[in-house]
Amino acid sequence: MTEILRVEGLQKRFGGIVVSDNVHLTIASGEILGLIGPNGAGKTSLFNLISGVLKPDAGSIFLNGNQIDGAPLYKRARMGIARTWQNMLLFRTMTVLDNLLIGPRDYPGESIARLTFDRAAVRTAEAAMKDRALGILTRMGLEQTAGSLVVDLPFGQQKLIGLARTLMNDGDLLLLDEPMAGVEGAAYETMQRIVRQEAEAGRAVCVVEHNVSFIRDLCSRAVFMAQGKILQDGTVEELISSSVLTELYFGV
Amino acid sequence: MFEPIILAQILWTGIATAAPFVLLTVGFALTLKVTGLWNFAQSGQMAIAFYTMFYALNGLGLPLFAAVALGVVFTAGAAYLIEVCGLQVLRDRQSGNLTFFIFTLILSEFIIYVITLVFGTEPETLYRSILSPIDIVGGIAISDWDKTGIGMTAIGLIALYVFMRYSKEGQFLTAVADNARLAELYGISARRAYRVVAIVAALFIVAAMYLIGSHGWIVPNSPLELVLSAVIGTLLGGIGRVFAAAWASIFLALIQSFSILFIGSRWQNLLLYGFLFATIILFPRGVRMPRFRWAR
Amino acid sequence: MDYPITIAISIAIYTILAASYNLVLGYGGLSTVAHPIFFAVGAYTAGLMAVDFPEIPAFVNVIAGMGTAVVVSVLLAGSSLRVSGDYLLIASLGFQLGLLQLIKNLEFTGGPGGLSAIPSTLVGPMRGPAFLAICGAAAVACVFVVRAIVNGPYGRAISAMRDEELAFTALGRNAMSMKIAIFAIGCGMAGGAGGLYAYYFQYVSPDQFDVLASAAILTMVVLGGMGTVYGPVVGAVLLLAIPQAITFLQLPPSIMAPMQGIIFTLLVLAFLFLRPAGILGTKGRPI
Repeated sequence: MTEILRVEGLQKRFGGIVVSDNVHLTIASGEILGLIGPNGAGKTSLFNLISGVLKPDAGSIFLNGNQIDGAPLYKRARMGIARTWQNMLLFRTMTVLDNLLIGPRDYPGESIARLTFDRAAVRTAEAAMKDRALGILTRMGLEQTAGSLVVDLPFGQQKLIGLARTLMNDGDLLLLDEPMAGVEGAAYETMQRIVRQEAEAGRAVCVVEHNVSFIRDLCSRAVFMAQGKILQDGTVEELISSSVLTELYFGV
Repeated sequence: MFEPIILAQILWTGIATAAPFVLLTVGFALTLKVTGLWNFAQSGQMAIAFYTMFYALNGLGLPLFAAVALGVVFTAGAAYLIEVCGLQVLRDRQSGNLTFFIFTLILSEFIIYVITLVFGTEPETLYRSILSPIDIVGGIAISDWDKTGIGMTAIGLIALYVFMRYSKEGQFLTAVADNARLAELYGISARRAYRVVAIVAALFIVAAMYLIGSHGWIVPNSPLELVLSAVIGTLLGGIGRVFAAAWASIFLALIQSFSILFIGSRWQNLLLYGFLFATIILFPRGVRMPRFRWAR
Repeated sequence: MDYPITIAISIAIYTILAASYNLVLGYGGLSTVAHPIFFAVGAYTAGLMAVDFPEIPAFVNVIAGMGTAVVVSVLLAGSSLRVSGDYLLIASLGFQLGLLQLIKNLEFTGGPGGLSAIPSTLVGPMRGPAFLAICGAAAVACVFVVRAIVNGPYGRAISAMRDEELAFTALGRNAMSMKIAIFAIGCGMAGGAGGLYAYYFQYVSPDQFDVLASAAILTMVVLGGMGTVYGPVVGAVLLLAIPQAITFLQLPPSIMAPMQGIIFTLLVLAFLFLRPAGILGTKGRPI
């Protein structure tokens, strides 16, 4: 298994609060890593540091062996890091299909130069992207929603669309921030299935979740964070059976 | 040219001339701090303040205190109405910054056009003469206007400081300025704070317009330029820092006054904008932007 | 100058201004009020080149006007957008006034009195209609360019950027360069309009480009409908036609000028509160 993400000695503080304290982490291709811990542990901050929303105070991040911590947010996406957000951040005024079409990393139609001088390439790319988007929607069983406005969809489907948009990036690293929060039933099953498929395709996946059964069903490995530190790294069973961690998780 | 007496005179006159601009800047900066809004409607209020006092003194022949009282009533009244019927409505609709800008600017223009219709475009002053009696103190010419201006400004600033630090209302303003939603959780009404600051700013505006109007000529369009000097002072002082903005105004006025010694008078205005330019282009990060946290 | 033709040419020029401003403001979501300054930059550049270098053909000067406007706009956007989108509003205002002040103080621009006697390349009775044809074609081209930009994949990207910039950036797009590009295109078009203006009216002065001009263009965009392709056209026509309608009432000028102002500002305020989407806009579009 090739290593996709490596994080070494990551440090970040906001004023008095340390959100990332000497964090070391590796994720290999095909792995689904669970990131669990109480609220405020620094899980989302870790995602923000890896994806590039935040700059670390110290430490380094490697993607496929290349050091990326100097790169800004949009460049990291182009290198193949894709993430979902707790608040979904779907494009409110646009349809499902249009939301997905913003997904691919580098899109000829978005360069004025290419729009003006190479219309044929834009047309081909547009058609290809549409096919890919519909393909992903079909895998999720949501192909009929393509023309609807995202805000008109039920919550669970919106979350799936958020995931679908991330998949359009076709990146090596997927960071999923609480994908299951508030989702049940068919959407839940679909989400699990898709994430498993992506890992099998060779991507590295890291999931932040409070839903323990999701983590147990899906993740081979998990990492427990509290107060910015990684306290334990092991199989899901090991973490769940640790009384120390359970106490930390549910508080005193 | 650089004799101490001359420098002292420039210093004195510079500070005196700065006085009304300090008042305008403070009103503007305070409003920005508490409401997060660049309230260009204040230029309309400036017009209302001046022309009300002008009409009261010259059209109705009222004594000074009555004219000023009338000015306060109309300006504060307008400020209150603008806040309640205009700004709060836009806030409830979660309008963007641009909408507020359009509203405040266009409203000011509306007010100015109405005033132009009623009063015409001739330059006017509050009194028939813009000169006031002068004393010579230690070789420096000190006019009554200078004394009034500096006195009013000093009193205004001290009063504001006391108000903000020690009175409940003032502390509420600071709380809302910091975080409106949080303040609401503690039972402080943001809406009330916005109304209070509107009235406080109106008082500063009336005082400033009295000073400016008794010392020089006003046309209906003047307030548009006046509000810009308030904007510049606010930007240079640092957004959210009211007293720093006051200092910035004084500093700018002094720079302009002293620059007479070095450069021609026609470049003075440019100096002001030069500062603004430099701040915007070279040091934009030095200016802290407030996070707009509207309370409902 | 034939009066109706002058009005028509003004409408064409202001359509370019309104449409380009709408691109920046309504579509790009960039809060700027300095549009007239780029109009001014284009006008002054073309005018100065025409006066100082009469051998250079007119269209080159107009293009030079566009180019200068683009450079200046990148300067402004590049520095202020780094702070935040909100800061651009005040920064653009300060920039506009500062630059105007500079123009007023420099000798070679003609100072506060303005630059006059700009040589006309076209003379004779057909001057008016010829200019109308040129400006009209430019206006049509401008509207179509805006339309081409905002439909299709680029427009989709602009909408996404406006909706959720963070997610947009996290999907691999450089929001900053997109904003600067939109700004540069919009301001470049305004600069071109300035060049045409300088050549037709043969006189430019700083007062024509101040805050009231900002408000006028803003009014056209708001009235017509921000974020619609044809809204600015409607806005430009209205804003230039209504004063003409009032002229028929034969009021004395001291009443007419403020009266026109009162009507506009009331219209804008009414629209702002009752129909923020403008005449052509669809309800519910966030403003």
